Amino acid sequence: MRRAGLVGLVALVTIVWPFVVPPYVVFLTTLILVNGIVAIGLNLLTGYTNQLSFGHAGFVAIGAYTGALVTIHAPDMPVPFTLLLAGLVTALVGLALGIPCLRLEGLYLAMATLAFGVVVLEAILNLDWLTRGADGLRVPPPSLVTSGIARYFLVAAVTVVMVAAAMSLVRTRTGRAFLAIRESEIAAQASGVDVARYKTVAFVVSAFYTGVGGGLFAFVVGFLSPDGFDVFVSVDYLVMVIVGGLASVPGSLVGAAVVTLLNDWLARFQNYRPLIFGAVLVAVMLFMPGGIASAAAGFNRLNRHGGLRAPPTPPIDGSGRPGGAVTPLE
Amino acid sequence: MTASAVAHVVVSGLATGSIYALVALSLVIVYNATRTVNFAQGEMFMVSTFVAWSVARAGAPLGVAIVVTLVCAAALGFVIERLVIRHAIAATHWDVLIITLGLSLVLKAGAGIVWTNDEFPFPSYFGDRPMAIGAVRVAPVSLGIVGASMVLMAVLYALLRFTRLGRAMRAVAQNQTAASLMGISVPRVFSAAWMLAAVVGAVAGVLIAPVVFLSTKMGLIVINGFIAAVLGGFGSMLGAILGGMLLGVLENLAPLYLPTSIRYSVPFLVLIAILLLRPSGLVGRVERRKV
Repeated sequence: MRRAGLVGLVALVTIVWPFVVPPYVVFLTTLILVNGIVAIGLNLLTGYTNQLSFGHAGFVAIGAYTGALVTIHAPDMPVPFTLLLAGLVTALVGLALGIPCLRLEGLYLAMATLAFGVVVLEAILNLDWLTRGADGLRVPPPSLVTSGIARYFLVAAVTVVMVAAAMSLVRTRTGRAFLAIRESEIAAQASGVDVARYKTVAFVVSAFYTGVGGGLFAFVVGFLSPDGFDVFVSVDYLVMVIVGGLASVPGSLVGAAVVTLLNDWLARFQNYRPLIFGAVLVAVMLFMPGGIASAAAGFNRLNRHGGLRAPPTPPIDGSGRPGGAVTPLE
Repeated sequence: MTASAVAHVVVSGLATGSIYALVALSLVIVYNATRTVNFAQGEMFMVSTFVAWSVARAGAPLGVAIVVTLVCAAALGFVIERLVIRHAIAATHWDVLIITLGLSLVLKAGAGIVWTNDEFPFPSYFGDRPMAIGAVRVAPVSLGIVGASMVLMAVLYALLRFTRLGRAMRAVAQNQTAASLMGISVPRVFSAAWMLAAVVGAVAGVLIAPVVFLSTKMGLIVINGFIAAVLGGFGSMLGAILGGMLLGVLENLAPLYLPTSIRYSVPFLVLIAILLLRPSGLVGRVERRKV
């Protein structure tokens, strides 16, 4: 009953929201949701399956350019098809990257995905007959989605579908396989999980989410240029996922909101912006280890008895040594 | 393209590669001790170089400036480890990753506020006139960078191989629990590793600053250092040096033979190719793990 009430309240606020807040806030909310979709995609790969990616801006770029080019060359294509196409093209690239990357883990995987991101940027710069290179690409509004409020409802609808799908996915056999791989690849394999297959699935699903997010990004921002997708953007998505909480779908949305709002709010501080942003990151991680989702889970545990304790995260270097196993003797 | 021109490019590639190797080494030193990848290493290197520039501009002789810089770099490493990283000792690698990223933002913005984001020329200690070795003409600065890096690497090797501290650091790298049971103070090794890494980074900064202009953007070199370390096999000192040299030479040779459209992608494509052939880097071993 309480759950149904909560869902109803969220739905009501979502519908009324764009009519009561100023247009700029509507735009910000839209951007948060778009980033949230990308963060969920990255979380499925990095948080659930423990495959670190420093190249998700590359996937966002592929989705965004696909969405933009389809809108330009086929203006009558219904928006859902355009987004689906953006997601599928990106998923295909994710498959092409994911299969060779099966051999890599930890930092080596991080490095390969970082390299992938750089190569995607160079490709966009050099395919200027298609992407207009460094000049940037203006994205015309797709059919029926011409106002800020229309964009908001489009993004909100897609977010609802993507969040519901992700929350269901992580509870299926596939989701449990992801978590098993995260805890220990060897143990997962010994328990009959097809590690190679599920890692590839994680890559493809993650790329699909990111591609759809990229397509929406193209519509929301209306202008694409390669320097909007550099390594630092990939790092921003990682920050959203880790600050929000690894292996938590709502956490990713919260992380996206925190990073997007912080970036926007700090714009007024100009030179001090990265200084404050960095200090906030350090403080959050020092005082809320495990991110906002695990802090919230801890708070819930205090209020209610029981509840599942989040399992510890294995280290990114794949060495099997947990991060804080050794507390040095003073 | 004559052979001597190629040799010239290779030598400057080795010079760039030495810098990458030093940055990679400082990443590896911290990683081996604390199992942390320090993404703020590039910014620490940049701040140290700015300190050297300020001291030199205040009229101190170059030797004094360098000594002051190395001391400041060590102090910076010590303070960061002691005040921030030590408190996250029980945190996961993910948390520490975000913390070092945050630190790099803080250091970069802080440097921008203190020294502005302009580019400054940095005094060179090597002559400008190209020297001829046989038929090959090389820039003295390239030789100077390669030579100084070699000396530093030799010193590092001796330090790790023959001193008590070096033995303690190697022990901690192998097994922290066993090391602390043998009476090694692990926190002290953590401090030492951060200070040592900061000093190695500062040397790299002072060496490269005369070639590229001094600016707050210099910290970006940490990405190349990271690539070099991974290329060699993360955790291996020899690998870091090999990876750095390979990356530097590739970066300098690629523009000679390849169209502009793909030259910047080449190091990255080579990186992907090498990782696919040798998933643990050039000299890295596949770690055998238990469940």
